[in-house]
Parts: sequence; structure tokens; C-alpha cells
Amino acid sequence: MKGRLFSTLYMFLLSLVFTAAVSGLNLLHQDRIKLNEDRKMQALVLHVLNIHLEPQATDQEVSTTFSRRIRLASLGDRPLYVGLDKDASTVIGYAFPVSGPGFWGAIEAMVAVDPKVERILGIAFYRHSETPGLGGRITEDWFQKQFQGRPLQVPSTGLRFFYLKTPGTASGPTELDAITGATETSKRLEKFLDDELKQTIPLLLEQKKMQRV
Amino acid sequence: MAKTQVRTLFRKGVWEENPVFRQILGICSALAVTNLMTNTLIMGLGLIFVTAMSSATVSALRKITPERIRMMVQVLIIASYVMMVDIFLKAYLPDISEALGPYVGLIITNCIIMGRCEGFARNNPVWPAFLDGIASGVGYALVLLIIATVRELLGFGTLFGKPLMPSTWVPWTIMIMAPAGFFMLAVFIWIAYTLEHKKTQGKP
Repeated sequence: MKGRLFSTLYMFLLSLVFTAAVSGLNLLHQDRIKLNEDRKMQALVLHVLNIHLEPQATDQEVSTTFSRRIRLASLGDRPLYVGLDKDASTVIGYAFPVSGPGFWGAIEAMVAVDPKVERILGIAFYRHSETPGLGGRITEDWFQKQFQGRPLQVPSTGLRFFYLKTPGTASGPTELDAITGATETSKRLEKFLDDELKQTIPLLLEQKKMQRV
Repeated sequence: MAKTQVRTLFRKGVWEENPVFRQILGICSALAVTNLMTNTLIMGLGLIFVTAMSSATVSALRKITPERIRMMVQVLIIASYVMMVDIFLKAYLPDISEALGPYVGLIITNCIIMGRCEGFARNNPVWPAFLDGIASGVGYALVLLIIATVRELLGFGTLFGKPLMPSTWVPWTIMIMAPAGFFMLAVFIWIAYTLEHKKTQGKP
């Protein structure tokens, strides 16, 4: 009985010490971690909206450009980044995050559309668990660039925004080259992008009509 | 501690009792992170730190830890150090933290650390336990790096992300995928055993 009491107390105390150590370390670095994440998101938003920075831009420059050229709004339950031109007066585009299931895990992407919501300005897949070298290639430039300039009219029922086709066979504005060997990633990407765009594009148009953004 | 003792610890950790190809421990992560050198190196360093610190801590507490809850205590200690590594990577090396994703967290379930705590640290003083942890971690990291060299070079044509193969090189996609991890590990174990066998045969 005495042994058990000691074991319990010992475990309790040890947990307390180690939890305190980890929490303390976390608390000390919380701001830095948050800052890293913010900077990454800021650079990403600027990138998809085609607001180019010098390649050697410091974190500080990214932040300043972001706060000058981006206005924050919301689109349903997700953030909406409104991109402004150099004088910060005219809207040059809207960016919003989309996400959905990939083959191995969730894929997260940032989509930017033009001010009239007629075309895609840019897209960047920034978080995923796809196989490196296969599905993981969705982050490569050539793949992401294909989306630029694609039309955004909501397709009629039964049709999709985009179709990922065997490389070389894609034709027309709704077809894109898929990644060879990454059939499952392509299939899921095609589906979730479609679902997300069908949900967000009408919402964005509505908000624009009501002049909320 | 005598120099020879240190050398013995390292010889055992890196070769004679190498955790990966002798004890076949920690191979889940060996298969998961070995398709890129950078990821492998950081994973290796993370594991060296966690094994060394956990072994030292388990050893420091060995006289007062009740026998029946020692496993629970070890897991608590290991998990704490792993979380520290994770926080550190997120704060100072965000890109690598992003690339490694869930693998850093997986260090917790790495059998090597538990194996060293159980097999060495709980019966030995702090300093040897610490060194033993480093030695085992180095043994693990070396094997992984060798496997990763082959996998990244053949699978991507690069090393540490730098292109090394001629532009006509067609990457072997299979090398990037999990099956190649099994394959390479098996080949590595085969070569290591053959070398060892030759050595013992040569002796009278």
C-alpha cells in the first residue's frame, strides 16, 4: 500500500516537473513560432496575388508589404485577403484558403482570383502529406502555374471546374495536366478543389454585390 | 571515465550493437524519412538528442524510480524531450519542421530510445548512459544517412537538394516510395552481415 502511494505521488510530481518544463519552453517560444507562421502565410498570400518581392526580401519587408497591400476580410468562416495595388486604393484580387482530403492526408492551398472573380490569378499548395516526388509534386511551379488564368464561371450541375488529365492530353480551359504516377492525389485534388470553389465563388460574388469586400 | 570505455560504448552503438541493423529497432522511421538527406539528418540529430537526454535522465532517477512504474516514467521523459525538439524546430528551423511534419513526433515511438533506457540507462550511472545514448543515436543516424544517400540520389538525382546526376538521368520513382526503404534496409543488412562474416571467418 505504501509502495503504491509512493508510486502515484512520484509519477504525479515527475509529470508536474516535465509538463512545466515543456510548457515553459513552449511559452518562451510561442511568439516566435506564431511569427514564423504569420510570415509564411503573408509571403504565401503575396505570392498567389502576384505581388512580387525581391527574392532576398527580409521578413520585415514581407510584413510591411503585407500590411500595406493586403486588407483582411472574411468569407463565410474563412479569412479573405483583399489585395490592393501600389497606392492601396484599387483591388487587384482576392485570396482565400481552401483545403480537402488528399491521398495520405489533408491538402491545404491558397487560391487567388481577379477583382471581377472571373479568373484564377494564382494557386499555391502549401501543406500536404502526399508522397514526395509523386503527389508531393503539386507544390512544383509548373503544376501550380497551370491554374493561372483559368475561368471561374461556376459549372452547371454534373460538371467540374477543372479536370486533371494524363499529361499531354489536356485541352480546353477546364483541363490541366495531372502528375504522372499520382493518380489518387490528382483525383482527390480535382474533387476537393471543385467542392471548395463551388462553395466559395458564389459567396465571394455575393459579398462583392453587397459591397462588403 | 576511461577512454577505452568510451570507445567501447561507441563501437557497440555504431557497429557491434547498432540499433538498426543489429537489433532491427527503429526501422519504422528508417523507412519513413530516408528519401531525403536533409530530413534524415535532422531526424538523426533529433534522435541523438532525445536518446542521450532520456538515457541520462532515466539514469539519474534510477535509484528512486519504483520498478513497477519505470516504463511509464520513461515514456513521460522521452515524450517531454521530443516535444522540446519539436518546439525548437518550429521556432528556429520552421522550414525543416514543416518538411518533417509528423516524423519528429514519431521519435516518441522509436524503440531505440526505450531500448537504451531499459537496456542500459536504468542500470548505469548518468555519464555512461548519456554517452551510450549518443552512440546509439549516431549508429541510427549513420545507417539512415547511408540509406538516404542511395534513395535520394537514385530517386531524385539530388543530395541535400542539390542536383548531382546528369540532366539525362531518369529518376527511379520507386526509390522515393516506402517499398524502397524496405529494400534498401535489407540490402544494407545483407552487406553488413557479409562483411562481418568474412571478418570472423578470417580468424583462426
